[in-house]
Order: sequence, then structure tokens, then C-alpha cells
Amino acid sequence: MTRNLLKHDSVSDFLEILATFGELHGPVLTEDGVTAFRPLGPGIDLFLTYDRTLIPPKKYLLPPRDTVLTFAPDEDYRLPVAAVSETILVGLHPCDLQGIAYLDKVFMGDRIDPLYHARRTALTLIGLSCEPDENCFCGDLSAAETHGCDLFMRQLPDGFSLRDNTPKGTAILNRLTPILAEGEPPEAASRTCAMAAAIQQASARGETYGESALWDEFAGRCLSCGACSLCCPTCYCFDVREYGALDGETTMRLREWDNCLFKDHGEVAGGFNFRKSRQERFQYRYRHKYLGFGPTRGIVSCVGCGRCRVVCPVGIDLLELFKEHDDEKRP
Amino acid sequence: MRNDRDPTIAPLPATIIGLKTLSADTALFRLTLENSEGDRFDFNPGQFIQLSVPSGGEVPISLAGPPRLHNSFEVCVRRVGHVTDMLHRLLPGDRLGVRGPFGNGFPLGEWTGRNILLIAGGLGIAPLRSLLYALLMQREGFGEITLMYGAREPSAILFKEELAELSGRRDMHLFLTVDFAQEESPSGLACNTGLLPTLLRGVNFGTTNTVAAVCGPPALYRCILEELQELGIPAEHIYLSLERRMKCGVGLCCHCAVGDLFCCSDGPVFSYSQLKGISGAI
Repeated sequence: MTRNLLKHDSVSDFLEILATFGELHGPVLTEDGVTAFRPLGPGIDLFLTYDRTLIPPKKYLLPPRDTVLTFAPDEDYRLPVAAVSETILVGLHPCDLQGIAYLDKVFMGDRIDPLYHARRTALTLIGLSCEPDENCFCGDLSAAETHGCDLFMRQLPDGFSLRDNTPKGTAILNRLTPILAEGEPPEAASRTCAMAAAIQQASARGETYGESALWDEFAGRCLSCGACSLCCPTCYCFDVREYGALDGETTMRLREWDNCLFKDHGEVAGGFNFRKSRQERFQYRYRHKYLGFGPTRGIVSCVGCGRCRVVCPVGIDLLELFKEHDDEKRP
Repeated sequence: MRNDRDPTIAPLPATIIGLKTLSADTALFRLTLENSEGDRFDFNPGQFIQLSVPSGGEVPISLAGPPRLHNSFEVCVRRVGHVTDMLHRLLPGDRLGVRGPFGNGFPLGEWTGRNILLIAGGLGIAPLRSLLYALLMQREGFGEITLMYGAREPSAILFKEELAELSGRRDMHLFLTVDFAQEESPSGLACNTGLLPTLLRGVNFGTTNTVAAVCGPPALYRCILEELQELGIPAEHIYLSLERRMKCGVGLCCHCAVGDLFCCSDGPVFSYSQLKGISGAI
């Protein structure tokens, strides 16, 4: 028996202790009825029985608009100097943890992005087990739980069993000991999803379903609104824009969330476009999600959170491609 | 940890030290990095820089001049958008920002002893000019060197004076063509009329043991690749410099993805064998 059980009636004490480590954020139900990661505080309740937030936690590492450089004639180009504050993000589902682990590979792999690195280092991740709904299709939960999270909370009937995964997590757990009860050693969850396995297999084969009639069908319906990529925990492509001040001299260079379903994404100088048609853009997105690019070549970046299936205004679901392929194989 | 003086992240200050108008909308800029950075700037032909025009923005631009110039480097820029328009309004002494060099460049080391065919269309002459000078700097390392350069019309031919000089060299071949002939003569240069594939078919040059380097607008690649292979140059010996609107230059923003590859960090120079079968590559 170890002291790792956080009983339901100790949750407010738990949050109080967590808040001493940094600014506390977690899922809340906003007044608009949207579930969102927000700062927690007096009168703002943590919503731990949520299914998914609309915007994934990538916003903490890659804000939708982020100043990457400033320019002034007497200073030339400078990196922004804004301090990054310690942030505790509590209540992350395994799919979102996996999404952050993927972004870590991109932004802290061979080439470290200083802005991402600063924010990531100041971010403490506290995972939370979940109950998949009809839109989820993530893979092996036991593997996902340890994806870079510092502390993991498994939901039990009488509370949560806590498991520390990093020294940061251990430090927090040690501080929590006075409010914890004795519980059983936590067991890793075990669940496998047939669709997640099918995606992995298709990716391993480099399958692009080039002949599928579904591409035309998807492209015919798609509005190019970009919601699927906006709410995707692993979509990270960005545009870089320069915003000048009224003095005509000082400027800020921003990187902003971009979207490969937008027509100008594949444009080059002179107006030529390498992905003119919506169908081409759709297939491009597929390649990135399931087959990977550059440093993430071969890594499936879909974490099965189901957000794209939920938000698409015309009900486009790329899983139909995998289902269609499975159907073909049946006698 | 990289800091804000790392030229892959924050542009280093540079000054325009030379400016030459090449055509109505294209100019050659000679730049030098300020402080002590200038003498550290070296690159491979085919690499590019991200050029920042203060209060305008940043654009990827091929390095156009010979490598290892003392303390300076050249870029050839056409006025096609907001940033390049602002750049064209600057003068010697004005300051810019430079990140890079980025990308792989042409693999000159693998070309030793081979005949080299350079095919440039329009502004594609910029990186190939850099390549040509690098080849001529180590002339004895290669076989025949041939440059075929096509422009829209005589007035659009860039580097006319240099081409006139190159046409007099005995250690390389130069062929020019224009899509449309007008009355104006291209500075007395011998020039064909017609597209580059037609020129390629009409010229005799060694095609065995030859590597080809091609740079031009997308339409050029589509029509010239088959011709080159019919001449007996295998896909792995045809090198293309691709253009994409690269935003970060370091394989993060995904704007320049070509299949599973990034134009900015895996390219911009690719062999045709790398690109065959990648939808949307060419």
C-alpha cells in the first residue's frame, strides 16, 4: 500500500497545493458551454469529467499568434524577452499528452525552437485517465499515459490514484503526501482500438489510398474552413507575418497558426500553386497526419482525440478511408 | 541553446554594398554582413538565405554569386511582391537582415570528372550562376560545362555582360534562347528563338557521364525532364532546384513540404529520382 490516493473531498486541497508550483490551468466549462483549458481560480471550477476541449493544449506551447522577433532601427532584430511563467496544466487526457509529445519531437528535436522550449520547460503536465466516447479512437492508453506527463491521475470510484513520471512529478507528489490516502499500486490501463491499429498499419505501408473515390467526395463537401486543423492537437504549421507600427520603422514578426486546407498554403512567387485543388490539399493533409514529414517522417501524428470528427461542419471523417480499406479486404 | 545572434533564428544585420539593375524588374544586390560576421559567411551554390527587409518582412532568396567572395555575397531579386518591392526601393548603404544560408545546395563533390549541363529558365539563372562560377573556380575537376539559358524575351535576359564574357570562354559552352524574338538584340549575344526543350534537342553536346542541373519556373521542369532522360541522362543525375514559399527555413513551418521532404532543409536541390512519384512535387 502506498500513499497515492487522492480522495474526491481532497481535490480542492490538491489544487491549492498545485497552485504553489505555478499558475494553475485546466479544463473548465465556459459560460458559452464550451470546454476549454483556462486558468483556474476562485469561482472557476475544474471540470474533470469532460470529453474533450474544443482547442487542444497546443495553445500553451504555440499560441495562435506569437511574436517571434521585434525590429527597431537602433536594435535590429531581437528575440522577444517576455518572461515565461511556470504553468501547471492539470487534467490532460492521454491523447493530448501524446499530442504534446509529438510537438516536442518537432520543436525540440534536432533543432530546438527557443520560444517553444522556454514554454515547454515552464509547463508541468498532469494527466488524467478518460472514458472514450463514440468520437474517440486513440490507441494503447498505457503507452500514452506516460508520454511526457509529470504526474498522472487515474480515475477510481472514490478518487484518483496518482503516479509520478518525472522528478518534477515526484516533487509535487511529495508535497501532496499529507492529503493523500493509502491506495493500491496503480495499474496501467489497457485498451486497444481497432481503428488506431488500422491507421498504424496503413502508415507503416505508406498507404495513401490514391485511388479512393472518397477524396473527391470529401473535397466536394469540404468548406476549407480549417476547423479540423485548428482543433488538431498536432497540427502546428504556421505562417510568418510582419506587422509594422505606425512609425513605419519598428515592426513585430509574428508566427500564426496556418492551415494546409487554405488555398494560399501551396502558392509560390508569381501565383503558381502546387496544391490548387481542394482534393490535392486534402490529400496533402492526409499525408502529414498519417505518414509524417521531415523529422516526424513515419510517425502517425493523429492521436485519436476525435476533435476533427466533432467539429467538421459537413461531417467529413478521414476514418472512412481506413474503414473503406478494411471493407475491401473482407470477402 | 541557440541565442538571438544565431543566424538561423534572428537575422544578422547586413548592408547593401552594390546594386545593379539587370532588367526592368530584376536587380542584383551585393550584401555584406556587419560586424565580424561577414568573413564567416560561406555557402554552397544552390543554398538560399532568408532576407529581411526592415518593416517589410522576410523572403527566401537563392544565393546568386560565386561562393567564397571576400566578405560579401550576391542575391538576384525580382520585384514580385510586397517585400521584394520594398527591397527594390533600397539603395547601397541601406540595411537588411539575413538568416542562413539554408538548404543543401548542389552536390559538387559527387560531380567530379563528369560533364555538367546547366539549364536555367528565367530567374532560375540566379542559383545556376552561383553554381557555374563554383564549377569554373575548380574547372579542372569537371568535363564539358554547358549552360543553356532561356528567357521570355531579349530584354528579360539577365547578366547580359557576363554572358557575353562567358560566350568567349573556350572552357565552356553557352546557348541562349528566348521565347519571343523582338527587334531588340540581346546585346549582340547569339541567341536562339524557342523554348529550352527545342534548344536542347538542337544542340550537340556530350550526354554520357553527364549530370544536369535545372532551375526555372514549374513549367520548365515538366517539359524538360523527359527530354533529358531521352538524351540518356538518368533521373539520379538530374538535379532540380525547387521553389516554395519557405517561411521558417529550418523545417518547422511545413509550408515547403514536398511529399515527406522539406524543400528548405532536405532541398531545395533534389535529384529527379528523389522526386519521381511525389504528387505535387513538380
